[in-house]
Amino acid sequence: MPTVTYIEHDGTEHRVELPAGWTLMQGATLNGINGIEGECGGSCGCATCHVYVDEAYLDKLPAPSETEEEMLECTASPRRANSRLSCQIKAMPEIDGIVVHLPETQS
Amino acid sequence: MFRFDPYSPANDADPFPAYKTLRDEHPAFWCEEAGMWVYSRYADIVTALNDWQTYSSAKGNLVDELPNRAGNTLGTTDPPRHDRLRALIQKAVTKRALDYLEDPIRAVCRKHLDALKGRKTFDFVNDFSSKVTVDLLFHLFAMPTDKQEIVRDKAVLMVQTDPVTRKKGPEHLAAYEWMANFAAELVAERKKNPGDDLLSNFITSEIDGEKLADKEVQLTVTTLIMAGIESLSGFMSVMGLNLADHPEARRALVADPSLIPDAMEESLRYNTSAQRFRRCLTRDVEIHGKVMKAGDFVMLAYGAGNRDERQFPNPDVYDITRKPRGHLGFGGGVHACLGTAIARMACKIAFEEFLQAFPDFTRTQQDLPWVPSSNFRSPLKLELAVG
Repeated sequence: MPTVTYIEHDGTEHRVELPAGWTLMQGATLNGINGIEGECGGSCGCATCHVYVDEAYLDKLPAPSETEEEMLECTASPRRANSRLSCQIKAMPEIDGIVVHLPETQS
Repeated sequence: MFRFDPYSPANDADPFPAYKTLRDEHPAFWCEEAGMWVYSRYADIVTALNDWQTYSSAKGNLVDELPNRAGNTLGTTDPPRHDRLRALIQKAVTKRALDYLEDPIRAVCRKHLDALKGRKTFDFVNDFSSKVTVDLLFHLFAMPTDKQEIVRDKAVLMVQTDPVTRKKGPEHLAAYEWMANFAAELVAERKKNPGDDLLSNFITSEIDGEKLADKEVQLTVTTLIMAGIESLSGFMSVMGLNLADHPEARRALVADPSLIPDAMEESLRYNTSAQRFRRCLTRDVEIHGKVMKAGDFVMLAYGAGNRDERQFPNPDVYDITRKPRGHLGFGGGVHACLGTAIARMACKIAFEEFLQAFPDFTRTQQDLPWVPSSNFRSPLKLELAVG
């Protein structure tokens, strides 16, 4: 099972294993990690699962879809070059060990 | 031998004991009555929602699908076309795009609450939640208000199934046909005179330079009306029921209305009106010792997953401090409910206003009449005594 490390805004780290195919948004909400809301249920419709992806893993992810690009314009914390929506990132062996930083606020 | 009958009135009233047996003893259950498999554990449902390639919606998503609907609506189309269709509407229904609705929703709620002033008893469903929902939807879609009553009646009827024949009955199909025709006329009219409402924007959209097919537009509009009326009203009605049945929760919300959103999320987990939807397998899947074949349908029982103790401790307790993130009250994955932001906003405002007008109420019916439906669960009437 791929491992994901979430680092909250205050520096708290959570390392969790996710079943392959589950999204990083689900990994956070299901493990009680604060800082990711996922209001829309994972349909790329709300921008409350915004994360900053560690640079080392950024290139391993598929490029954001047009919808994700649009939603990233709506994030509550500033959008940066490494901003992604975690409901659009699936835990797969290729990104095993990925590190994501959670923004200060989601809404 | 254990049976699970999604058509029985007993199941409409209380599916939760059967759900527990399903989760504990038959996590991949062949349901004779519906002719499909049933998933009831949270993790299995989430896995199915994530894997749209295996669990396809293109053969329909209603447990009892309506004729000609599969493949022609958002909920019954797979990516990538689904994603492009959805993108046409998505941006207009995000939380930030909806601020303009706050005042109209509040005004609608107050209007219907004013009409109840001085009453000792009333029906929460027909006197409040349905009325608010219908007004809101007509406002949102800029639809002719003289049709409100009939549109509401048809929307409620089309989602039902006949408890005896275990199918859609002629009255349900007729209601669906009526709604499809109503949508067709609406679409034709908006094509001629587009406004700046949500429907006009969708109707006049193109995907990759290609106009949407008439049938696609009509049936998507039909579904938006159905969901907008039946599902939103159902959401509010079960929330009203929960607050009637859990006075300590209600008193907490009256004392501090900022807790209303937490109570809504817990309602979505505890007894969401969206109880069961279906998918169709595109390949063989082996799970929990069963082999399911490509072409088999799988019912995803959100209402069962939401009560799965493997995910939510003490799942049968309605606890407004739970903050149940990841619940399946709106489904999940690419097909998660499109209207989540509108539904949350409308429900929050409705209860802010309702609890201010009626802080204290009890339900007067011992047994409630429930919508006969293989998909949805909400009371047809909820008589309250106030004060």
